[in-house]
Amino acid sequence: MSTAWRHRLALLALVGGIGLLLHGAYIPVKAWLAQQLLDRAWERRLAGEVAAAPWPGADMRPLARLLQPRLGVTQVVLDGASGRVLAFGPGHVTGSALPGVNGNIVISGHRDTHFRWLRDLHDGDLLLLESDDGATRRYTVAATAVHHETEIDLLDPLADEQLRLLTCYPFDGLYPGTPLRYVVTARPLAM
Amino acid sequence: MSHAESPGWLGLLGCAVWGRVSVSLMLAVLMLPTGPAEAASEQTGLRLYAADGTDFGSAPSLDTGVAIGIVGVIARVQVQQRFRNPGKDWVEGVYVFPLPQNAAVDRLRMRYGGRLIEGEIQERQQARQTYERARDAGQGAGLVEQQRANVFTTAVANIPPGETVSIEIEYQQDLAWQDGGFSLRLPLVVAPRYIPGAPIPGAAQGFPQHGWARDTDQVPDASKITPPVSSSADGDLNPVTIGVDLNAGLDLAEVVSTSHRIDVVRLSHGRYRVEPAGGKVPADRDFVLHWRPVLAQQPGAALFTEVWEGRHYGLLMVMPPHARVLPRPVGRELILVVDTSGSMHGDSIRQARAALLSALQQLGPEDRFNVIQFNNEVHALFDVARPADQAHLRQAIPYVQGLQADGGTEMLPAMRLALRDPHPSGLLRQVVFLTDGAVGNEQALFGAVAQDIGASRLFTVGIGSAPNALFMTRAAQAGRGTFTYIDNGAQVQDRIDRLFRQLSTPVLTDLQLRWRRGDGDAVVSQTPSRVADLYAGEPLIVALAADSAPTQVQIAGRFGAMDWQQSAALSGGAAAGGIHALWARRMIDDCLARPSGGEDGEPLRQAVLKLALEHRLVSRYTSLVAVERTPSRPTDAELKSGAMPVRLPAGWSAGAVFGRLPGTATPASLFLVLGLASLALAGVLRRRWR
Repeated sequence: MSTAWRHRLALLALVGGIGLLLHGAYIPVKAWLAQQLLDRAWERRLAGEVAAAPWPGADMRPLARLLQPRLGVTQVVLDGASGRVLAFGPGHVTGSALPGVNGNIVISGHRDTHFRWLRDLHDGDLLLLESDDGATRRYTVAATAVHHETEIDLLDPLADEQLRLLTCYPFDGLYPGTPLRYVVTARPLAM
Repeated sequence: MSHAESPGWLGLLGCAVWGRVSVSLMLAVLMLPTGPAEAASEQTGLRLYAADGTDFGSAPSLDTGVAIGIVGVIARVQVQQRFRNPGKDWVEGVYVFPLPQNAAVDRLRMRYGGRLIEGEIQERQQARQTYERARDAGQGAGLVEQQRANVFTTAVANIPPGETVSIEIEYQQDLAWQDGGFSLRLPLVVAPRYIPGAPIPGAAQGFPQHGWARDTDQVPDASKITPPVSSSADGDLNPVTIGVDLNAGLDLAEVVSTSHRIDVVRLSHGRYRVEPAGGKVPADRDFVLHWRPVLAQQPGAALFTEVWEGRHYGLLMVMPPHARVLPRPVGRELILVVDTSGSMHGDSIRQARAALLSALQQLGPEDRFNVIQFNNEVHALFDVARPADQAHLRQAIPYVQGLQADGGTEMLPAMRLALRDPHPSGLLRQVVFLTDGAVGNEQALFGAVAQDIGASRLFTVGIGSAPNALFMTRAAQAGRGTFTYIDNGAQVQDRIDRLFRQLSTPVLTDLQLRWRRGDGDAVVSQTPSRVADLYAGEPLIVALAADSAPTQVQIAGRFGAMDWQQSAALSGGAAAGGIHALWARRMIDDCLARPSGGEDGEPLRQAVLKLALEHRLVSRYTSLVAVERTPSRPTDAELKSGAMPVRLPAGWSAGAVFGRLPGTATPASLFLVLGLASLALAGVLRRRWR
């Protein structure tokens, strides 16, 4: 290889490497920053502002707030679970039961940002879900399991009343396209 | 760092663009095995909530029998839905089912415990109250509500354990004449529809058990048109028997179905018995029947009349003159729009690709064209329509061949983009829209078409085994074009050719009807009030009502560049039953199609209500309800309620329509690892160089 070509290749690798590092670092920063803004929007929503947007031009809405006291988690749950929404926070899976309703409520989040804490959850842990009418429902973790992405019956809104948290598996996987999902199932506690 | 290399490093900042290119190139190469991250984590808007029959423990099982009697151009259809309760509880069943978009539903009977109870028409709210009171009191009750012009709901209360309750619905329908023959399309399943919009705040699923979608700002009744879909291919789920008594009056050259294998028996002169071969069929696709008289010449005009409660009613069909003499327009601008949402996955997208390729072949060098596809997003091949020369066609063909179906059905932005014509070319502008119409926000779409159509014309092409006929017909009507269905692959070429014949230009425009009685004008209530342009092979169809029957009609319009006029004597029409219902049904459509039709304006509601109550028709504002007088359910027995699961239409792919569990991994750590690896590579290369 001629020196000129090696030089160019080194340049390309350097520029590319910096670009990739910046991009990789930007994802968790964006995820963290969005939650700060969303939390304020959620407070405004509880205060009665129906269309509380977290920042100007935001095309997503906060739908609920999820808390886990032992791990100190407080996260605003967004409406919908498309890739675009999940960049900013955990998302409620459209079509599963709504927070605040008796049914199978499913929330999904990124394994390497918002829902990384799912791997630290144990059976019996408490989960709190605050819906937009200000009411809080209490759940206790009953099971954790790994499922395949095609098992869409996990989303059945007619299933028993429960809260399901869902994220990609394995947690430390490198490639984003994994077919496996880690599913935490929590049963309601009496109010 | 030596001086020699400094220009390169200095250029680094200026080369940000290069950096981006290198990043995407590397990603493109490195991530090939897993596919792009965004695509992997994107999910579709519709999802399946696995309802394999057994999940609906409390729902009764259902089978349907359809008896179709056809006399000439009118079909009288009886649909019998038998709800069987195999369990030990008392149950209520709720079933969402389709009917033809022009069905005039005028009768409900309930067979409950050996008694036949006649239903009565009531205002929607009142009917629901009647039903709910009876249900809560333990009486047998049945309710038929209209959710869309082609989507209805039956609710049956207090089905005793181990027993069957039958609901019999009857409707009247006029049949479509197209290309020298009649066709009948009986839809059998409400396909899962994409529900756009944001959930209405505070609106929980109104009937948590009935419908998988939440009500949204764009589809406020979403939960009522989205019956749970069974994921299992269970053969026992809602089997349908169909019997057709076809009294054509003329001997037929052919009776064919493009959807099912059929048995045809000729009973007598012009009379046939048609059934699907093998008896029961699954409710997973439209039943489509075509028949063509032996005589090649088409009828000039046909009139059917009825005197009902002292008033004269008529249905008039007039064939337009043959269009062969019309010249092809000098160039046109053809905008091909194709639905690439998840519901089009499988057979449908293959049909659409074939149809688009045939369409492209028919373009001449004087034409201009563009191809637009939409799912969650809209994408156009060209920014503006381009000449249909070799260079542009060479770009278009691989684009069309590469179309993949996945994602939601955000049709409104696609419709707007297709109809927008920022640089009018002066050519005849035609928008051809290929879709299965599996959307819940039809009304908003019709509104957009009516508002934005301008000088363009809109042609809808229905694709797949269970297209939304309401969308196809009304959108084409609002867009002053026509609709076509492509039922199976073999037909594609034929249907596209036919469409292009029609696309050349309307045969008759500016149509005016003048009704005469003796020497004077007759007072007639006519629907449609404004007659649409007619395309080749289409008849003019008008329904009329009058206190005293008109004796003649004069039809005037433009035939190409010439004035055209024809008159028809209205005496001696064939007497037929139920013409009044067809007239009233069309009047209701007319009312609801007016600009204020989208909102529930009170005067409009009153007009529709009056028509519907007078003619005993189910409509947006009226329902049929039947109640057994005496309660059957013991007061201490609980009533369980269940939604009847429906099948996925044939050829649909559950995975493509309903998606998978959401993808929830970011490529952050992958980026970091790749970034570090690239830096290490840079370091190694630089050291060697030095």
